[in-house]
Amino acid sequence: MKEVMLDVINLVREFPVQGAAKEVVRAVDDVSFSVYEGEALGLVGESGSGKSTTARCMLRLIEPTSGSVLYRGRNILRMGKRDLKAFRREAQLVFQDPYSSLDPKMRVGDIISEGLQIHFPRMSRDEVNTELKQLLSLVGLREDHLNRFPESFSGGERQRIGIARALAVKPSLLVCDEPVASLDVSIQAQVLNLFQELKERLGLTIVFIAHDLATVRHLCQRVAVMEQGVIREIGPRDEIYTNPQHPYTRSLIAAVPDPDPKSEREKLRRRQAKVTGGSSS
Amino acid sequence: MTQSVTRATKTAKAHGDVVLDVSHLSIRFEGDNGPALAVSDLSFQVRAGERLGIAGESGSGKSVTAQALLGLLNGATVEGEVKFQGEDVLTMAPEKLRSLRGWEMSYIFQDPLSAMDPVRTVGDQVSQVLRLRGINRKEAKERTIDMLDQVGIRNPEARFGDFPHQFSGGMRQRAMIAMALIGDPVLVIADEPTTALDVRVQAQVIDLLHRLTEERGVAVVFITHDLAIMAGFAQRMMVMYGGRIVESGMTDDVYYGSTHPYTLGLLNSLPRVMGKIAKELLTIGGQPPAPTNLPSGCAFNPRCKYVLDQCRVDVPELAIPAGGNHLSRCHRSEWLADNRGELT
Repeated sequence: MKEVMLDVINLVREFPVQGAAKEVVRAVDDVSFSVYEGEALGLVGESGSGKSTTARCMLRLIEPTSGSVLYRGRNILRMGKRDLKAFRREAQLVFQDPYSSLDPKMRVGDIISEGLQIHFPRMSRDEVNTELKQLLSLVGLREDHLNRFPESFSGGERQRIGIARALAVKPSLLVCDEPVASLDVSIQAQVLNLFQELKERLGLTIVFIAHDLATVRHLCQRVAVMEQGVIREIGPRDEIYTNPQHPYTRSLIAAVPDPDPKSEREKLRRRQAKVTGGSSS
Repeated sequence: MTQSVTRATKTAKAHGDVVLDVSHLSIRFEGDNGPALAVSDLSFQVRAGERLGIAGESGSGKSVTAQALLGLLNGATVEGEVKFQGEDVLTMAPEKLRSLRGWEMSYIFQDPLSAMDPVRTVGDQVSQVLRLRGINRKEAKERTIDMLDQVGIRNPEARFGDFPHQFSGGMRQRAMIAMALIGDPVLVIADEPTTALDVRVQAQVIDLLHRLTEERGVAVVFITHDLAIMAGFAQRMMVMYGGRIVESGMTDDVYYGSTHPYTLGLLNSLPRVMGKIAKELLTIGGQPPAPTNLPSGCAFNPRCKYVLDQCRVDVPELAIPAGGNHLSRCHRSEWLADNRGELT
């Protein structure tokens, strides 16, 4: 059995309800799961399921209401400033929106190397440049991109910049919050393949958040399905897709469209037969 | 029956009549980065009651085309003809155009939150089309409640007075569909109507649009970047790239027998929930071109793995290749039709 890298235990995060004095909504409701060294875990759920809030709590970008998050045995919620900084180097985040997550006034080289300057302040300029060149080739960008600003890049290229920035500080864990959702279809596959390749080459552990089950299937060995702040089902990929136990998982799988007109028409016909035969009279 | 009332006041369209006839449509913008050729020489027809899908990525010209169909393009140089029920939308007087919009043809936007007025109630907005036609408040409200009910909004009497922010994303999109259909239009343009929605809600919206088009005989132009979501909905489809139609035909013919490298690439690169898991997804290299900087020859040539020298110079014609059954704009479409089995 592989070793546990990250242990999420009884995680709860509540948010105040706007306009109601003491009411709260539980975005994450007593969630527990483990992330194993070297695996890619998919965290799937619809909007409002609590998947992004869970990810933010895992990295302590927001404070959970209660519960604990153990990174290699140590509770990150109890860490002091110095330990937390060390943890932040080890665990990096790739954001959903490659437009708002890159500072438009910074050059690409500065965006990618900012983390290096914070975590490795003694690195010489030459060493930083060598690192930068390696990172660029790793994510499929060119050296002449370094002096340009984010505005001159497409969505897919920006996402590569965001990935290079996350990888610069040599993390062990990469948390990706819907990193392909805003990309063109033909670019999504390129970025998914890049994650696959990086995982193998760098031995990364990846938590990959998505709203549909099709994207995580290619990358993740294990999949957790969240709904209303609760994990409905978690297990090995093949179990989840071929033998889903929870009705919610089943409905999610059934809803993913397939680029196959005949089977889609059949699905549509069955859904409509159900509606007219069921609720309406 | 509200349906028969409105139909009687309009020209009834039999199934199969051409309601929309677009010919040689070109759209150009003058931008900061030089002129952008968003759409070039686009021709297609939509028949009454038909569901036509238009697929394309960003910059393909699909949304600009949709806007042109309703005469919504300002600041663009538009050439060609967009005939709606025999009259050219592009040269139509503004009053005439306004009398068509929402009534004869309507639009479903991608993002219902920004397409609806946040300070007016949903009922007020959905019934607006009817009120503008002089239908009295009481009848307009009744018909709106009936329409909200038909699009699957539960407890429509109570929801009539709600504001858009009180609706969930899926319910808001239903309200948009109600708004588009309440005037009993002949044609609905749906521009990425499911993109902002969760997968289960996407399926519900597709089902709803499908059912309503079947029941009401309304033609739908369904625009999307997602070839999977369109598969079960569209009867006929076009794929756009770099402002041009690159492939067009009956949906099954295109999906099961594509003769264009771009469509083939898109179909192969989609992650799926079923079937074999490939070690890596097949991809199309590079990225879609910007309308300001279209490659010479075939716009897809820099990304195409079947590229010939000719492709870098000549724009291919949109034609049915020998051995194929539908239109493809590719110098190698005949070869692709012959070698179909070995391509994936």
